[in-house]
Order: sequence, then C-alpha cells, then structure tokens
Amino acid sequence: MATLQYILKRLFLMIPTFFLVMIIIFVLVRFLPGDPAIAIAGDRASDADLEAIRERLGLNEPMLVQFWLFVTNTIQGDLGSSILMRAPVTEVIFNRLPTTAFLTLYAVGLSLLIAGPLAFVAALNRGRWPDVLIRTVFQVGLSMPVFYIGLILLTFLAAQLRWFPVGGYGDTFGARLYHLFLPSVAVALYTSAIIMRNLRSAIIEVLDAEYVQFARAKGLPNRLILGRHVLRNALISTVTLLGLSIGNLMSGTLVTETVFAVPGVGRLMLEAIFARDYPLIQGLTLTFAVLVSVVFLLTDLFQSTLDPRMRLT
Amino acid sequence: MKRHLLLATAIISTAIAAPAFSQERGGVLNFARYDGSNLIDPIYADRNPDIWMVGSLFDTLLRPSADGNSVVAGLAEDHSVSDDGKTVSLTLRDGVTFADGTPLTGEDVVFSLDRAREPDQSPWSGLLGSIESVSAEGNAITINLNNPDPTILSMLATFTTGIVSKAVFDAAEGATDQEKSAAIFASGGPGVGSGPFYLCGFEQGTSMKFCANENYWRDGADGKPLPYLEGVNFQIIPDDATRILKLQSGEVDVAEFIPFSRVPELDADPAINMNLFPSTRIIYSPINTRETRADGSPNPLADVRVRQAVNYATNKDALIGLVLQGAGKPMTSPLMAAATPLSTNPGPLYGYDMEKAQALIAEAGLEQGTEITFTTLAGSADDSTIFAALQQMWAPLGINLVVEQVDGPTRGAKNRSGEFDIHTYGWVNDVNDPGQVVGWLGYTPTANAVGTGWDNAEFNALYEASQTEIDPEKRAQQYADMQAIYAEAAPLLFMYETPFAVAVSASVDGYVQTPLGNNIFEEATVSR
Amino acid sequence: MSDISLSESEATKPQKTRLQIALRKPGFLIGVAIIGFSSLLAIAPGLFAPYDPNFIDYNAVRQPPSWAHPFGTDMLGRDSLSRVISAYTVNMQMALLATIFALIIGVTVGALVGYYRGVADMIFGRFVDAIITFPFLVLVIAVVAVLGPGLINMYIAITMVGWVYYARLMRAEVIAQMGNDYSAAGVVMGYSDRRIIFRHLLPNAITPVIVYWMTDMALAILLGSSLGYLGLGAQPPQAEWGVLIAEGRNFITTAWWLSLMPGVAIVLTGLGFSLMGDGLADLLRPRG
Repeated sequence: MATLQYILKRLFLMIPTFFLVMIIIFVLVRFLPGDPAIAIAGDRASDADLEAIRERLGLNEPMLVQFWLFVTNTIQGDLGSSILMRAPVTEVIFNRLPTTAFLTLYAVGLSLLIAGPLAFVAALNRGRWPDVLIRTVFQVGLSMPVFYIGLILLTFLAAQLRWFPVGGYGDTFGARLYHLFLPSVAVALYTSAIIMRNLRSAIIEVLDAEYVQFARAKGLPNRLILGRHVLRNALISTVTLLGLSIGNLMSGTLVTETVFAVPGVGRLMLEAIFARDYPLIQGLTLTFAVLVSVVFLLTDLFQSTLDPRMRLT
Repeated sequence: MKRHLLLATAIISTAIAAPAFSQERGGVLNFARYDGSNLIDPIYADRNPDIWMVGSLFDTLLRPSADGNSVVAGLAEDHSVSDDGKTVSLTLRDGVTFADGTPLTGEDVVFSLDRAREPDQSPWSGLLGSIESVSAEGNAITINLNNPDPTILSMLATFTTGIVSKAVFDAAEGATDQEKSAAIFASGGPGVGSGPFYLCGFEQGTSMKFCANENYWRDGADGKPLPYLEGVNFQIIPDDATRILKLQSGEVDVAEFIPFSRVPELDADPAINMNLFPSTRIIYSPINTRETRADGSPNPLADVRVRQAVNYATNKDALIGLVLQGAGKPMTSPLMAAATPLSTNPGPLYGYDMEKAQALIAEAGLEQGTEITFTTLAGSADDSTIFAALQQMWAPLGINLVVEQVDGPTRGAKNRSGEFDIHTYGWVNDVNDPGQVVGWLGYTPTANAVGTGWDNAEFNALYEASQTEIDPEKRAQQYADMQAIYAEAAPLLFMYETPFAVAVSASVDGYVQTPLGNNIFEEATVSR
Repeated sequence: MSDISLSESEATKPQKTRLQIALRKPGFLIGVAIIGFSSLLAIAPGLFAPYDPNFIDYNAVRQPPSWAHPFGTDMLGRDSLSRVISAYTVNMQMALLATIFALIIGVTVGALVGYYRGVADMIFGRFVDAIITFPFLVLVIAVVAVLGPGLINMYIAITMVGWVYYARLMRAEVIAQMGNDYSAAGVVMGYSDRRIIFRHLLPNAITPVIVYWMTDMALAILLGSSLGYLGLGAQPPQAEWGVLIAEGRNFITTAWWLSLMPGVAIVLTGLGFSLMGDGLADLLRPRG
C-alpha cells in the first residue's frame, strides 16, 4: 500500500518536472540561430517564401501563444507535425523508438554479461595482475570515442572479415541481434567499463567492511559472504548506476546511430536539430524525459526493495 | 586512368557485339545515399536529395541532350517556338501512359504546368514566370508567353515541369495541393508519374525503393522498354566512412558523395569503379561587401582592392590539391561552372599572385593584423582544411583570419542578415541555363547577390535585359559583360569546381549522375 | 559494531598511513605520473613539440611515420606529433574546467539538500529531474549553438548540465550516510549541523563523488572530443584529440597513424585519471 502511494506521489511529482522540461526545450530551440523556414525552403528561398512558411507553421504567433498551444496539444497527446518528416511527431517517434530501445537494452545486457564476472575477478585479486589487466582493458574501451571505435569495428569485423553487416537493423529478432551487435558492442565498451569500475569498488567496499572482516574472522566461507553481502550491495549499486546513466546511454546513441547507420531516435534527434524541426525536437525531448523518469522511478523502487535504508519518501 | 580504359573497352565491346547483343536485364541496384528524400514531387522538391530523384519518377516534355547544351524530344515528340518567341507548340507522343498504364493526356500536361507556375504553391514558379497560359487540344500542347523567354525550352526539360497525373491528384486526400502531394507520396504506387520508375517503398530518413515502370515509353538497346533494372533500393548512410565500408563489403553497389580524400584509394580497388562525374558544382565564398559590418564597425572587405587581394593571395591549385586530391579545377567563370551554357572562359580567374595581392593591400591601406572572420560549416573536414590553408595563405597580407564554425541553418541565417565577413558556400545548377545561378550570385533583388550586399546597377540592368533576350548572340554578350563586371568586383572568393565522386561496384554499368546532379538509373545494369 | 567513539585524533591519524599505503601502490603512482606528465605537456607543449603544430607544408602531405616526423604528417602536411602534443593544452583544460565548477556546485547543493531535505529538497528535486531527464548531448549541443561554438561556451554548457550528476550522487550518499550509526550519534550528541555535514557526512560521502570526478574528467575529454567532431568544440587550427581523430578516421586503412596517435593520447589520459581515481578511493575510503 505504501509502495502504491509512493508511486502515485512520484508520478504526481513528474508533472512539474515535465513542465520544466517543456519550458527549457521550448525556449532553447527558439534561441537557436536560423529557423525552420530556412531549413524547409533552403538558403535560396525569398524572404516572402520564408514569411509564408513561418505563417503556416504558426511561428509568427506570440511566444506565449505558441507555448500555450504546445502545452495544451501535448496534454491531448498531440506533439504536432514534424517539419522535416512531414508526418505527426508521435508517429515518427514510435517508428524509431523501438530500434533505439533495443540497441540500449542489448548494450546493457552485453555489458552486464562482460562486466559482472570480470568485476568479481578484479575485486578478489585487487592490486594483482588480473585486476590491473582487466581495469586497463576496460579503461581503453571507455576512452575510445564511439566515432572512432565504431569505425574500427566496422572496418575490420564487418567490411574486411565480413562477420557482421555494415549498418542496418534487420526485421526479425534474430536479425536484429545480428545487425545491432557491433553498435551494441560500441555502446557496451562505455557501459561495461563504468559498470565494472563501480561494481569492483562496491565489492571491495563490502569486503573491507568490518562486519565482513568479522564474518571472515569467524570462519564463514567466502562463498557465503559473497552471496549474502557482496552480491546484494553490488546489485544495488549497479542498478543505481544504470538507472542514473540511462539518460547518458540513450543520448550516447546519437553518435553511435549515425556511425552505424541505425535508424533510431538518436540520429533522428541530430537531424531534427540540424533542420531546426521545432516540433520534432520538442517531441523527442519530452519522450526522452518520460522514458528517463520512468526508469528512475523503477530504479528507486528496486533500490528500496533491496535496501531498507533507502526509504520511500 | 582505369575508368577511361573501362569506358573505352565498353564502347568497343558494344560495337563488336552489336548484332547478337544480349542486354543485361533484371536485378535490383542497392544504392547508399548521403541524405534522404522528403517529398519527391516536381514542385515541392526543394533540397538536392529530392530534386535529383524527380526525374526517375516523373518525365518531362523535353529532355536535356547528351552534351547538356540543348534539348531533345521527351514526352513531347516534337516542339517549335514561334518567330516572335511568344508561343511554344509541342506534340505529345502517342500512347504514353503513367506507370500504372493509364494514358497521359494533354489535360495532365496543363494541370502539371499550371501547378508548377502557381506562385502560392511552387517555390520554383519564378522560373516559369514568363508563361501566360497553357492549353491542350488532343496531343497538341500550346504554351503562350507574356514575353519571349530564352530559357523556356530548358525549363521544359527541368524537374519542376515533370508531368503528374491530374486524376491521381484529384482523387488524393488533402485540403491543399501540398497535402495531396504528401499523401500520394506517402502511399507510393505507380499512378502519379510516367518516369522510368515509380516509388514502391519509403521509410522516412532510412530507406526508399524504386520499382521499374513496365509501361515506360523509351526503349533500351535491345528494343525492349527501359529501364533494365527491376528496381533500386536506397539506404541512407550519412557517415562518409560507413557509406564507403558498405560498398567495400558488397552490401551496396553504389556509394555517392565520396570524400575526395578517399578517391585515390578507391580508384586503386579493382572491385570498384571510382567515377568522377562532371558537374556544375562550384565552391566559393561570399564576401560581405557592405560598408559596415552588422555590428556597425567598418568593413575592410568593402574595399574592392582587398577583395581582389585575397583572391590573388589564394593559391587555388594548392587548395585543390589539399581538399580535392587534385580532382577539381579552379573556377574560370566568376558566375558559373565552366560547363554551364554561356560561360566565358578567360583562363585562370585571379591566378595566384602574391606580389599583386600585397600591392593591392598596400594601395588599399589595410592595417596590419586586421581581423577577418571566416565562417565555416561545423563538422565539415573540407571547410576546416580550407580555413587552415587560407589562414596561412593570407597571413602575408597582414590579415589575421579567425574561424567561426556554425551549422547549416545558422550559416543560412547569417547569409541573410549579413552577419558575416566571408563564409563557405557551394552551388549546383538546377536548370541547364545560366539565368538561375547568375540571378543568385549577382542580381541584387534575388538575394542581395548571395548575401554579399553587392549592388551594381549596370549588372542588374544587364541581367534584367537578358531574361527576355531571345537573340542568342545578344544574350551571350550580356552574359559575357556580366561575367567581366563580376570578376572585377570580386564579391566572392572564387575557388573551384568539383566533380561528383561516386564509387560504383564493378558489377554495375550505366549509372550516371548528370552535371545538374540528377541520378539516372534507367540505363543502369547490374550483373550478379 | 557500535563504534561511535569518533574522537578527532582517531579520525585524522590513520589518514597518514593510508596515504603511505596508497603511495606504495604502483597503480596509483602510475596514474599520478601519467596525469603529472600530461599536465606538464599541457602547460608547456612548446618544450616537447618538434615543430610548429599549425605549420602547413603542401609538399609533405600525409607522410607515414619517419625519423623527421615520428607520427607522420596530416592532410595539410602538419607534423602529427606536434599536433598531438599541442592538443594536450586544450584537452587537459577540458578535463579540469568542464568538471571542476560542476563538482563544487554539485557537492555543495547535494550535501545541503540531502541533509535538510524538506521543501528545498522537493523544489531542488524537480529541477534536478528536469535537467537529468533532459537528453544531455542535446542540451549541450543546443546551448553551444545558442552561445556560439568555442571552448568557453562549451565549458559553460557542460557545467550547466554536469553539476546535477554530482548533486544527485552527493545527495544520495549523504542520505545513506545519515542512516549510519555515527551520524545518528552526532545528532544525539548535539553537534551542530555544520559540524555534522562537514566533519562527518562530507568526508564519508565524498569518496564516490571524487571517484566519479576522475571518471568525469576522462569523460569530459571524450565529450569535448565528440563536440569537436561535430565542429562545436575546439576551433581550427587548434589541434584537439577528437578533431584529430575525426580528421584521421577517413584514413584508417591508408594512414592509420593519423587517428591512432590521438587515440592513444585519449586512452592514456583516461587511464591516468582512472588509476588516480582508484588510488584516491583507497585513500579516502571511510572506515566503518
């Protein structure tokens, strides 16, 4: 019951958050130099043409009127019509979102698979060579810009060895796993590195904690200590970290999707910005905010279930 | 070298095999594009990725000749212009149909041309401003003009006069013509155009499919209708390096817009034909010629001698070497690519001459260390290279060149408002006539002479006169005069012409990109 | 278990030994050495760069590594080694300036709202949520586009967004620490808020923040590089690793050295920050 109440309260608190997001993005796009009319009609269009386009798009209305329309339409589920795509923003986003979501989850899955076991190995061998090796390798991955590592992966694994396709995203689930493997690896290089780091220090922290030392001194087997204390602690910190970085992860797809020619919302956002597609930028930002908020909520719920200190308030 | 050799081999083998020639047919061509189409419609196509595809879906009454300097029969099998230059008569080919088999009639022609010249809906209507009325009687089409128009025949061979089906537009959903067009495009299908292909698949920003029009009127080398291909699949891959990898891995057959730095490497690959198609693309930089800058400070570039000096101090050959790996040539006409009709060809324009440049600077009394801002496109490797080279080249003039990187819309806004000193720019002709590009670059009322604020009464008068001059010699003289005036005044940093670099798999033959940029697939073949 | 006798002497004395332990760890030392040397390169690139990094030589374009040019030359004939070295100034500056203000603001705000909670926390929470749920890169790209491209504007943009991450982390840590026995004890013993926050909560809660800071500095270099790749960060002809990689990535198969060397520089610096971060984590880890 308390949980339900908490969820309702959090959902209620999202309203002012979204309102703030809407204000920020609305103001920000209108401060961008250049306007959608030029993006639509091209540099060669006459001033009269541009004026006509602005009129048609409603950009000549006073700012407050435009903002009022944005808010009221959004509440009714209407995000307007994309200038670039000439289609309703909601439709455009729903077409592209699954691809990005798939890519992100795929990358997180891969990261956990890689980073989880290795973090344990590193932590248990703290300071010795396996630890140093693992951390160095992950650090190298973390420090590689996606637009560089992506191209290296494509050049060698896709174009030369032909193990994977260059870009695209497949139709079936299996085909997607295959097509999106390299982009996921590129994203996972970053994610797995931060997960590994975080997990490693969480494990070490627990191992060093006095109660664990005490348990060890009492002769409790390592396995039991790991299972009881370390795993829970590690899980909490990893989920928190993933939840926290979901925003980073998703906006990181912006460059990844461009390099790997994956038609997701990240690439769409970049295109929308460069086309000054106000409705699409606004719609994407809001969608993003909703997604991230929901993930945060789930993270907190998960955290509170595992860690009673994190009271739900 | 290799490409010329291949071409020669192709011609020889065609000649030898002529009698028992079996034409390669079938197959789907996979094409990697740098950017996607939004709406392929003769009048709403406003960006190059749209414009360059219109011809594949919509035929025009006339077609550009192979050399690009005149027109030949298209949907109209013959055409004539009256002696007073005010009436164009055309005869529609018998039995031509739209891709779905419905007949293409004079009514469709009238509808299409009326739609294209309606200022409220077509951004290109200005190009057809001379038309007073269009009428049809059976197969006879008559176009009456308000005044003689030297460009009218070229215009009838240009994408914006592509013929659309009136019936399909009448039946389409939507309140306005544009909404109807968008609805027709979104649903795809063969009814609306009579080009060699029709749209049979479209995913915004991702992919697009063309299918062969089985009712196309032109025949191929084997006497059967074109096109040879079953269709073309387009994928949009904005990243240059990824697009090339896609070709190298064999996932696509054609990759367009190859960065020139990659050309030598791809040229050396036996599995790839590296094409450099001649184009009308020019790369230049508008110079703000206004007396004061937008912030009110005096503008050193208002002095024509300073503008001439920076032109002389720019080593175009070095730039071409650095940016294009030699695959380009310096501009020779100040107003257009050399391949444009009526371009004069006086040899190198502002050939590199540092002494002259320094003398001009001294004469103009330019202060040493004068700061000039060069606005470039953010993320463009070419622009960064150009800036770095110019910075060094102009240093001996006492010019301290600083960079300002902006994105496309910002650059467009700056060009309009005049808030720049010099910025990079480029142009490709849309029409096979110099009128459009000269109007853009030099005629003040169009767009402040490409934003430079340059305003020359003599030039503007010449341009206005040339717009209605149908005597070819007089018109040529007007254009020669305009080019001389413009070169002298130097409102631009004149740079170079570049070809279209398209890498094509060795299994593909006959794909062409025209000097106007149009992608031509109708005679392309692919052997699997 | 209830070791609440946190006398001043005990809280400070073991620090020294921990420092000694940390200094004996090769990882930490290597990290400090890398960052130290990187900082030296950043402060005085002229001492190490063999050529003027911006000098263009049309006749020596894209030359492979040689004795004269150990890292080869780029597409303008500029010496790659000199460019990679001169980029240290910009990239190290990025690491520091793009994060330090975010750290200071974030830690202060996070600690205060975490400790006091209540209405301020609520209002702060909405504000943080709004920024944190905003697509990071989009905000940065948009702010840079509005303010104009360039490093200073880039730092402003990154700080405007980045502080929130520190604040959120700090707040969560403070709340977690407050659940611990010793802070409860502090309250019971009637210590002032300031003393509890600064003496007990902050030192204990700041460890993850410092570790995150080290990562964040490496990430700031990466983010700055991405913006450089998009043309929104360092302006040419100034060399910057991201720009150098972007310039070289077209030649990955033909002139691999162009992108590899700046890549190595990024990786090494990132490694340095990371090793230092781990060392600091050991150094600052609170005793249970």
